[in-house]
Amino acid sequence: MTWKRWSYMDHWITGTPQGPRQPTFNRNHTERYLRQLETLGFTGFDTFGFTLPIYASLYGSVPAFERALQDHGFVGLTGVFAAYPYATDFAAPHRRETHDRIFADFERTAAAVDGLAVENVIVMPTNTYFQVEPVTDETIKITAELWNRVGAMLAPRGLNLTCHFEFWGAIRTEDELALFFEHTDPELVGFFCDTAQHTIAGVDPLALFRRYRDRCRGFHFKDTQRVDDFDAYRTAPDAELMATGVPRWFYEMGTPEGLVDFPALMREILDSGFDGWLTVEHDKADLGGGNFAEATAVAKWYIDNVLDSVRGGAA
Amino acid sequence: MKWSYMDHWRSPSPNGPIDQWQTYDSMDRFLKQVAAVGYDAIDTFDHRYFTIIDQYGSVANYQEFVQERGLERIVNTFHAAAYDQRNYAPHIASTHDNILEDFRVTMDRWSGIQLDNIIVMPATLYYDMEPVTEDKIKTTAELWNKVGAITLDAGVKLTCHHEFFCGIQSKEELDTFYAYTDPALVNLFVDTAQHCIASVDPVEFYEKYADRVTGFHFKDTRHQDLVGDYRRRPDAELMGTTTPRWFHEMGDEGGLVDFEAFMRAVVRNGYDGWLSVEHDKANKLGGDHAESTAIARWYAKNVLEKVAREEAAK
Amino acid sequence: MSGFRYSYALNQWRQSPTSFVRLEDHERAFKTLSVSGFRAVELWAGTGRWSNLGRPEHLRLNYGSSAGFVGRLAECGIDAVSSLTWDPSAPAAEEGFDLRSTSRPADHARILAAVDPYLDLLTELGCDRIVVRATEPAGRIGADLDVGAVASVLERIGSAAKDRGVRLAADIDCLSPLRDAAGIASLLDSTDPDLVDLSLSTADLVVAGEDPVAIARRHVDRIGHVHLKDSHFVDSENAYLLPGAEVDMLQGNAGRRIERWFFEFGSEAGLVDAAAVLGVLGESDYSGWVVLESDQSPEPATSAMLNAWYLTHIAAAGFRAAARTEEPAR
Repeated sequence: MTWKRWSYMDHWITGTPQGPRQPTFNRNHTERYLRQLETLGFTGFDTFGFTLPIYASLYGSVPAFERALQDHGFVGLTGVFAAYPYATDFAAPHRRETHDRIFADFERTAAAVDGLAVENVIVMPTNTYFQVEPVTDETIKITAELWNRVGAMLAPRGLNLTCHFEFWGAIRTEDELALFFEHTDPELVGFFCDTAQHTIAGVDPLALFRRYRDRCRGFHFKDTQRVDDFDAYRTAPDAELMATGVPRWFYEMGTPEGLVDFPALMREILDSGFDGWLTVEHDKADLGGGNFAEATAVAKWYIDNVLDSVRGGAA
Repeated sequence: MKWSYMDHWRSPSPNGPIDQWQTYDSMDRFLKQVAAVGYDAIDTFDHRYFTIIDQYGSVANYQEFVQERGLERIVNTFHAAAYDQRNYAPHIASTHDNILEDFRVTMDRWSGIQLDNIIVMPATLYYDMEPVTEDKIKTTAELWNKVGAITLDAGVKLTCHHEFFCGIQSKEELDTFYAYTDPALVNLFVDTAQHCIASVDPVEFYEKYADRVTGFHFKDTRHQDLVGDYRRRPDAELMGTTTPRWFHEMGDEGGLVDFEAFMRAVVRNGYDGWLSVEHDKANKLGGDHAESTAIARWYAKNVLEKVAREEAAK
Repeated sequence: MSGFRYSYALNQWRQSPTSFVRLEDHERAFKTLSVSGFRAVELWAGTGRWSNLGRPEHLRLNYGSSAGFVGRLAECGIDAVSSLTWDPSAPAAEEGFDLRSTSRPADHARILAAVDPYLDLLTELGCDRIVVRATEPAGRIGADLDVGAVASVLERIGSAAKDRGVRLAADIDCLSPLRDAAGIASLLDSTDPDLVDLSLSTADLVVAGEDPVAIARRHVDRIGHVHLKDSHFVDSENAYLLPGAEVDMLQGNAGRRIERWFFEFGSEAGLVDAAAVLGVLGESDYSGWVVLESDQSPEPATSAMLNAWYLTHIAAAGFRAAARTEEPAR
């Protein structure tokens, strides 16, 4: 069947007279970006919390930017991603003394998207693994406390808090995920399935979706050609760009040698009754001479020509 | 020790990637970059002749343009012929008159400047020549003996550059070819990466024919062709299954060529000509010609020249 | 006669958030600059694990230590870190995204705390120059700039720096409310020459409608750092006063829609007379760094090579001679 709710996660690099830059380089480049996404048929748009002020600056306000999205055929701003990848004295979910500060950040984010189409507030629930380790039951429980609290604040505002787990984050294995979900309220803290991140971490995203379907709030559909079988997740200061021998982890759907079985996942989604957004993400698609526009078009081709042919009930 | 840079170049423009021959400005920027990192000269392709005439009036004028930007001269030109078995194929004797006439015309066109070498790929694409037999190589050799006489009359050495996908690329084919060609007329131009891809050790090969060598392309590769990509139709360099990018600059971390050993051999054999650096298709997979050119010159200056001095002192 | 040295800024290699992160990419930039004749590099402060030359902790983590970084530079043929540029008003995750202004005295203690790790780093790197952005953009400050407050915090940073053997040069960029001759003079007149030098930024002066040669002559005794770059445009419409001038003006979002203001030397439209600026410095006692930049270039390596060519052949006959000729350590 044709899935109606495809959104695009706001990673994009484009050529400018100053070299490769994000489309927020100026409003003209942003408009070109939105036109390309509109042409491909995306109707949802997810962005980062830290990009909201930039869009507000370019368009006058965040609601004005949402109106611009709607002029391009989007239903609006559908998701906001927030992250503290690097542990600092100010933001470390496994340290209670930083929770008030993080909570206040999310209150601001909620205020910034009040009245907009946003459904999901997607969060990277931990910092880098190497800064948190040893990862213990205690670090995970403290982290869970924070997100229960943030989720309880967001829920009455109509916002789902949902957790997106990086392969290099401090909750990454099946056991760590299970413990985290055991200590978080299913009504307040959702699961967000990033197909590539889990695969790299050696965890089957399809099995995870089956297990946590009831609290799954969304997906990042992206692929990878590689499982981290050499402890790259502990690379300091960064595993996504600096892992030895792997300059690029992420690829668009349909890539040769891709490890994610998207048709199987699609079948599972159809059977599950999930009715949220499916999000295409192309994180760092420019590495090694790649091109965001082309990667996005190729992924949408894959959606239209492969995933749309998938029928439920066959599993 | 003098270094020359071979023609390959791409830079971004508002219209997408362009080569240096698009405008005076793009040529100006190309030459200044090559000069800035310490190359002494350039090599080019002789099919650039038409652009040169359009833009600079004459080959001599173009060389002046080069010199005004701090480079000494044009050292070598590469004769990149479009081989066609109907009228232009070295292993087919009936096409030789046509080829000989092409070289008479070419040498006349470039007579306004003094070149060291005219470089050729001496055989057609492998799949157009196979089965590669001794007879075909002998016919090919006869052609280049005659061409060598023509170029030498013009004061330029004919020298042969063996792509991994051309009809003379294996050790045996190379030996046969050089046995049938006249050392006074047909020389060898060693491309370190091309031989390496073809599983011919560039150092051993160079040592064997050192007295016939009149130049080099210093470039690296990360792959040998172990799957028969040299026979891939219609193109082996861009369409091979081994890799989307065969060539890298010297100093590349995954490079297979032992440049230090190669440079020692060059010095040991008393070679005193120009050393050419080539970055064919360096813009693949996010690469950048300008940066590759600087990195290669860094490697030449900081690694190879030091090795050369050590070897010379022995 | 002065004995200034040349350096090159690395800032433009980091064009997008995910570029210039891997150490092999750093190495390629170092080698490109070395073989182009530049034997020193300028760092710039940043934030996050991907700005890994821009934070002291990440630099040490990547290279094992500051000495490890200096050693790697030496292996690539780079002899020194000339300088580091730092914007006290730029929020950094490592500092809790603290929003500070040099013009607000209440922020000064936090500014001094924030610069401290950088001064430690510079000491470890054997670098004696920090270039501090004097103010945030005019459009953000509003009309009432307290020059005395700016001068005061610069002096305090300068004093802390001096204690570590580092000198401060104030960077007055083309968006600063102090960008014109009067503004520059007012800041210099308000600061102790023993603690605060001027960073002469040729392109920013041109954009501000000033003549960099005249400014160099006027303040030659206060120049402690030089950013030598070219511009094709003058901000004749005072676009720098727009609230979002960093995007509206410098990225062409508004007004004349100029998407690139800064260029390498050697293009016909260039407005900076590099030879004349170097001539003023050459006749003075200036013995600091002259830092070239690829700022705003889509091809930072190309711009570095073209700048090297321009210095060698047009603007500074001594450029190549000034470059160290012996081999780097391997």
